[in-house]
Amino acid sequence: MITAWIFVAIALFALALLTYFATRNRTHPAGIDGAISMIRSIDMEAFRNLVDPAEEEFLRCALSAKEFRVVKRKRAWAALAYVRCAGRAAVLFASAGQAAQRNSDPQIADSGMQIAHRALRLRLHTLQASLRLLGQVVLPGNGNRPLVSLIDEYEKTAQTLLRLGRLRNEQHV
Amino acid sequence: MTGHILLWISPHVLLALVAILMYQRRLYRDFPFFWVYTLYETCEFVLLYALISIRTVTGQQYTYAFLVTLVISISLRFGVIREVSDHLFRERPFLKEAARGSLQWTWALLVLAGIACAVFAPGEDGGRLIGGLAVINRGIGIVQCGLLVFLMCFARLLGLSWRGFAFGIALGVGVLSGIDIATYAIRAQLVDEGWMRTLNLFTTGSYLICSLIWLGYILAPESKTSVVTNVAGNEVDNWNRELHRWLSS
Repeated sequence: MITAWIFVAIALFALALLTYFATRNRTHPAGIDGAISMIRSIDMEAFRNLVDPAEEEFLRCALSAKEFRVVKRKRAWAALAYVRCAGRAAVLFASAGQAAQRNSDPQIADSGMQIAHRALRLRLHTLQASLRLLGQVVLPGNGNRPLVSLIDEYEKTAQTLLRLGRLRNEQHV
Repeated sequence: MTGHILLWISPHVLLALVAILMYQRRLYRDFPFFWVYTLYETCEFVLLYALISIRTVTGQQYTYAFLVTLVISISLRFGVIREVSDHLFRERPFLKEAARGSLQWTWALLVLAGIACAVFAPGEDGGRLIGGLAVINRGIGIVQCGLLVFLMCFARLLGLSWRGFAFGIALGVGVLSGIDIATYAIRAQLVDEGWMRTLNLFTTGSYLICSLIWLGYILAPESKTSVVTNVAGNEVDNWNRELHRWLSS
């Protein structure tokens, strides 16, 4: 009979999750200001420093193995806080972009689509980065792949965005 | 007994209403599987009700008819899950590609979990038809509910807005599958008649709740679109500029 109760517990957990999603399935119409201020609060230079492999290598040489693990774990937590912040902003931008996508003005709809597209990509990157940083928290001694590639990805995305923005400005002129 | 019959009839009446409303609002174009599902469930109820009312139909004949209709119903539910998943990614083809791999893995893991549960927790009455069926249905409930919870987690993590009725369909099927896991798990372990009757009441009651969810979502106005029309052009440019600035900093 205990097996049946285990399944009942699983079912109750799933139903609780579904109820949570049902109550939270709303857009964030007033969250744009929050997203912009969140993005402004992110210090990219500090983040770059936290995930810099050269910096990590320096710490590895300068500190004992035990100290290095402690410091690396702290750095990973700090970087994770940045990534989470960026992720939340990306979600807000994605929601705003999706809202704009359904606007009757085709230009706003187009801009909305581009914002949503880029913001969702950004969100995927932040999720991937979060997993990798959590990996670094659990196993700080291991030689993890540098997160600089993530920043490169951001920059590539930004280039595409700027190009699209320029094209749109030319159309306006 | 009358209460039980009422509880059995009412969700199907509501489902018929959902089917009519879907037809009136042309929603059957967007959700053909769910529309067929609502129609099928209504017809299935009429058939089973007729069979139970005819005195010459034996219990065994009724069980076989119930089994056949149940298999079709389960298949249609998988179609509905596919439909709401497609709807979620319809406007985001790049995400569809990213989600496909995760969905395939989730699907495979859930099927394995369902099979493992059937093998390692076969139930007290697994050798008999109804007991075996409960074990299979419990596994199917795990797969269906798991897929929908995964889809909702995915949408929530990425901030995807799942528009009104599509979300309602997913929620209703998710609740139905979740309750299936619990009720079929108890059915697989218990052979007691009294418990079975209580479980039947619970199943029909939960079906009524799901029908109300679908009806509620179809009648509710699309609140999100009202927000959409109020987005000013310069505001969109402002968001875009901020995103560019941050990405290139």
